[in-house]
Parts: sequence; C-alpha cells; structure tokens
Amino acid sequence: MARPVLTRPAAPAAGPGGPRPAPSRRLSARTRRLVRPWALLAPALLAIGVLLMYPLARVVWLSFQDYGLDNVVSGQPDYNGLDNYVELLTDPYLWTVALPNTAVFAVFAVGGTVVLGTLIALLLRSLSPLWRTVVTGCIMVAWAMPAVTSTYVWIWIFDVDRGLVFQALHALGLIGPEGFNWFTERLTFYAIVTLNIVHHGFPFVAVTVLAGLLTIPRELHEAALLDGANAWQRFWRVTVPTIRPVFAVVTILSTIWDFKVFAQVYLMPGGAGSNAEVLNFGVWSYVRSFSQQSYGLGSAIAVLLTLMLLAITIVYLRALFRDEELR
Amino acid sequence: MGQKRILSATAASTALILALSACAGGDSSGGGERTLDVWIMEGTHPDASAFFDEVAADFEERTGATVNVEFIPWADAHDKFVTAIAGDTMPDVAEVGTTWTPEFAQAGALADITDRVGDTSAYVPGLIEAGTVEDRLYGVPWHAAVRAVLYRTDVFEEHGLEEPRDWEQLREAALTIKDAEEDMIAFPVPGGAEYSLLPFVWGAGGDIAEQGDDGTWTSGIDSPQAREGITFFTDLALKDGLSSTGAATWLETDVQDNFVDGKVAMAISGSWTPKAILEANPDLEGRVAAFPIPGPEGGHSPSFLGGSHLSVFNGSEDQDLAWEYVQLLTSDEYARRWTEETTYLPGKQEQLARYAESEDPLIRPFAVQMSQAGRGVPVTPAYGKVQGQKVLQTMVQSILSGDASVEEASATAAETIEKTLNGDG
Repeated sequence: MARPVLTRPAAPAAGPGGPRPAPSRRLSARTRRLVRPWALLAPALLAIGVLLMYPLARVVWLSFQDYGLDNVVSGQPDYNGLDNYVELLTDPYLWTVALPNTAVFAVFAVGGTVVLGTLIALLLRSLSPLWRTVVTGCIMVAWAMPAVTSTYVWIWIFDVDRGLVFQALHALGLIGPEGFNWFTERLTFYAIVTLNIVHHGFPFVAVTVLAGLLTIPRELHEAALLDGANAWQRFWRVTVPTIRPVFAVVTILSTIWDFKVFAQVYLMPGGAGSNAEVLNFGVWSYVRSFSQQSYGLGSAIAVLLTLMLLAITIVYLRALFRDEELR
Repeated sequence: MGQKRILSATAASTALILALSACAGGDSSGGGERTLDVWIMEGTHPDASAFFDEVAADFEERTGATVNVEFIPWADAHDKFVTAIAGDTMPDVAEVGTTWTPEFAQAGALADITDRVGDTSAYVPGLIEAGTVEDRLYGVPWHAAVRAVLYRTDVFEEHGLEEPRDWEQLREAALTIKDAEEDMIAFPVPGGAEYSLLPFVWGAGGDIAEQGDDGTWTSGIDSPQAREGITFFTDLALKDGLSSTGAATWLETDVQDNFVDGKVAMAISGSWTPKAILEANPDLEGRVAAFPIPGPEGGHSPSFLGGSHLSVFNGSEDQDLAWEYVQLLTSDEYARRWTEETTYLPGKQEQLARYAESEDPLIRPFAVQMSQAGRGVPVTPAYGKVQGQKVLQTMVQSILSGDASVEEASATAAETIEKTLNGDG
C-alpha cells in the first residue's frame, strides 16, 4: 500500500511549476513511470490479494497440516508434511468414486451444455429480432434460477413416490407401482445432476456463441454456398474455425464450473454424505472438512481439484489455439 | 488526466482499506456496560423471543447486565459454533446440542462447570452423562427430547388395531394397514435417519460402540444382536413392503412432511414434532397419538435421549455473570415455562415425573419412553465425526438400495466406527 501514497505527492508536479518547492520533485520521471502502472493496479491487486490469494494460500497451507477442531481453538498448527496427500492418493475411493464422479460427469455435462447451447445459438441466429428477444428472454429464466431452486425442482420432478417422471412412466406401464429410486444408483443420480447442470448452463453458452456467430461476415457463408457447401459443411468449415476462441472460452469456463459442482450434488437425497457412492470432489472436500473436522484433508482435496483444473485448462488452451494464434 | 487517475486510484484503495477495517471492528461490545451474548437454537416453535425478552428483563433487574439473545437455526448451528470458535467470536452462553458438548469441550471451547453445578442428581442421568468428559461437566441439562412411535388413531380404530406391544405386533399392525390403505405408507423405513434405526439395534441387544478398559473402542454394530435388529428394521421395507421405495433416501424431515400430508400411518418421530405436525395440518387434530417403541418381546426398545445443554464458553469475559444467567434459565420457574411453551421435555427428574403421569396422548408416551428407555450414543468427542461421516445412514441406505447385505453393510460400518473412534480414520 506504500505505492499509491508515494505517488500522491507526485501529483502537483504535473501542474505548472509553482513557486512552492514540491517535495515530489525528488521523484524522477523514470521513477514515476515505474510507479504509475502499479499505482493503477494497486486497488485490483489488493482486492485479488485479500479475496483470492489469501484464502488460496491458506488452503494450500492447511493441506500440509493435521488440522482439527482443537487446532482451530488453540491456533497451534500441527504439520504433517505430505501425509494428507499420501493418504488421499493411496485411497481407492479417490480413484474409483470421487474422480470418476467428477471427471466423467464433467465430460458429459460440458459436452451437453456446449452442444445444446450451440444448437440454441444457431436457432437464435435464424430468428427475427422480435422472436430472438422472446426466446432469449425465456432461456434467461433458466440461467437466472438459483442453483438451489433448480436442484429442488429436479428432485421434485424425480420424486420417487409421487414425481412427474414416476407418474409418466407408471402410466406408460414402464415401472410398477413401487417405483424406482433414482437417487440411490450412481448412474441415475448423476443423470439427474447432468440434466440439472445442462439446463442451468446452456443459456450462457447460447448467448456467448450467438454473439460470436453474429460477428462472422455474411460473405464467408455466401462464398461457401456458391462453392456448393451444404449446411453441415458450412458449420464445420466456416462457422467453427471462425469462432474457435469463443468455443474455447465457453468450454473452459463450463469445465471449471462443472468440475466444482457442489449444491447440485449436496442437496440431492443422499448427496450430503449418506450415499458415499455419489460424492464428487467438491462435496467430498466439504464433508471431510466440515462434517468430520479434518480441515487439512479437506484442504488437500481442494488443492488436488485446483491442480487438476489448472492442468486441464492448460491442455485445452494448447489444443484449441495453434501457437501462432496465441500470440 | 494522469493526475486525476492516480488520485482516484488512491481514493479507491483507501476506501477499500476503510471498508475492510470497518468489518474487522464490528464486534466490539460497548465499553463499561456489561453485556451477555446468548445463542439459542431455533426451529422448534415460532415465538421464543417474547420468552427471552422477559428473562432478559428479569436478569437486568437482578444484575444490571443486558442480554443479547441471538437465535440460530439448528441446521447451521454446528458450522456456526465451529466458525465462532475459530474466529474467537463465541457467545458467553449458548444452548448446545447434547451430542456436540463433548466435542466442543474437548476442543477447549467450553468452561468446566463441575464445581458450579455441584450435585447433579436432580437431572436426568443420560443428559449429565452426555455432558461429561473425563469426569468434568461442561453443560447443564436444559431440556430433553426423545423419539417414540407417532401414529394415526383414526386409521388404527378403523381397522380395529391396538397399540403394538412387541415387534411382531408392530409388524402385523403395519401389514394390516398396508393391505387396507393403498395410498398410505404403513411404517416408513428412512435411509437417512440414524435415530429411527437405533431403537431396533438397541432393542435387540446390540450397541454402536463400547470402550474397553485400555481405552480402545469396539463397535458392536456387526454383532449378531445388532444384525438381528438391523435385519428386522430393513426387512419391514424389503420383505414386507411396509415402507416406500423413496424412503431409502428420506431424512427424518421427509418422514414428517409425509406424515403431515396424511400419507403415513405410523412413524418413529420426535417428542417435539406433534406440535409442528398439527400446526402444519390442523385436520389431524385429535387423530394422532404416540406409543413408546416396543421391545422385541414386550417392554420398550431404548430410544436416543437427546436434548440441549446450556454451556458457558471459555471466551466469556465474565464467566460468573454467564453462570448466573444459566442458573436463571434453568431455575424451576423458567425451565417449567420453557418446556411448556416448546414441546420439549424437561431435563430435571422431578419435572419429568409429572409429564409421565400426564393424560395427554402426545406427551405421556414420550415421557415414558424417556424415563424408562432413553439411551445415549457413545460419549466421546470423536462420535461427532462418526455422525459427520453418516456411517449409520450409509449402512441403512446401502441395505435398502440392495447394494449390500446386512452382514456386509454392518461389517463396513463397524470398521469405519472403530477407525474413527480410535483416532486413525
């Protein structure tokens, strides 16, 4: 915080040289050039530092400790080195349950979100301005719905004894009166989570991709049309390459969001820990930290999740941009 | 331009710092005046504030200190306590759930009140036991809660049923209801409610865990007796179809919601629930009663004896004052009024005796259950972790969903419980 304070005396020097010997004259033009960008960045850096970097560093710090409720009270750290990581990485639960529940689910959720979002964007592009506004308004409702609300709506739709899905399937004679518990099976549990996430996430993709689509010059499509390209070819040869950066952004953001899904799993029946088969990284970390007061272990899970996301993001960026496009 | 920008950047960062320091300074309690911060759990009945205003006025008259009561919803309370302990923003006095008391005491957050309380024989023994860690007491029993079976008297009368006296009668009554009432769940077997399972484990002679002389815990959840109880409980759903498919993931609140909707004929339910159920659905007035959970061959099956302690926190600046408030709240007059206004049962033996003689079909069975067959979970700070892991719920859920047999699920549960209680989990 010393920096912006330093520059304040520099301010009068910028004015016409008065008779007062301004103390700031001691700062050379070079120093000012060096200081100015930092002064401008300071508020943002401070906000990021306090709100983002400090908690992040704290979580990493905690992950090297055996930190329980008694440590919380006494304030005494109890370092155990890499023990938390060793325990996690040798735990079959990580490899057979938490990781697939996080990663495989994310593949389907991101795929579903981007495909549906893109299809809606293509639909929106072909609509008249009036209808485009109407449809955009409708899909925005799905986006604006809080995650907690939409999760409860899906739970209600799939309610085992009285839900809409049960009634429909029962009326069609596909399931008996005893019903089927969608929430106890891992596959059906995550099918519902995927529906919830795709439903909640596609409007963002649709609106962003639409913005990209509208920047594609009409001439490109006309030229392709003259060359005899059909709709499928025009989409893959013209549209996709032109707005590749837009796809990169929505895919990376969706991946990050879908890896750290929490409320949509935690609030589902059995998702808060009583059905160990269905926990993903986010919920596992929370349950370990707060329900079992193993803050160190919970932090280590969170750090693993962060590292995984960083790695995936880097791989994505490298795959989606060719080197020269990055520059 | 450049000058202006620098100035506004400086101003913005100054403003941010001011805002941050304002946050940090928000907790100061005013100077010389004595103020007591009290946390009371919320979620049992609507207007506790009038009661506490009165107690506060009385307390101010006696001591000159003002009382600041904050109501905390049960669901968030554990996290809020832990956060407060971590951030040193603890109240002076708080209502603490009996299963949390050993945990917070072990962590060093609660004041040792053994010498202040002195003779504890006036209180319900189970609640004293739940508040004791290594022979020191950390909470005064304030009120108690227990579960029994809540049932629909109209359904029972219509089909000529009587209150079951043993497990077989319970099963037969439920089978009769199942055959006669198609739209009703005769006896829900919820997968996410540990306290609905425990009476059957305890009733059959099993136990969650016991501490040996050398201090290590051994879990009895996979003993033949416990397995018999678990099998009876889950077979009500799996073999006899007395529950519903959805109940495999129900919590106690889901059972209650369905009872309110008139979909449930009998259910294990807390002593505090009848009032809430009748408030939510006044049509059920006069059609609901309770009976103590029967034992396998008659008698009663033990049911979890829970409730709340009042605890003084170590962070309190004036523990004598805090203790005075606890004494006032647990004094005969206020304790009686509190239990009357809520539907909780009193934590003192003498007061409880009157309830056991009550004619009210929604009070007496619970009081009988509590005084004759109330039981606690293992009193150790680590038991909070077992609950956090939802070991018993996981066990029941995996049996109900067909993923594991009773033998497999109980063996897994026993292993997890022992690992956690013995501190290597």
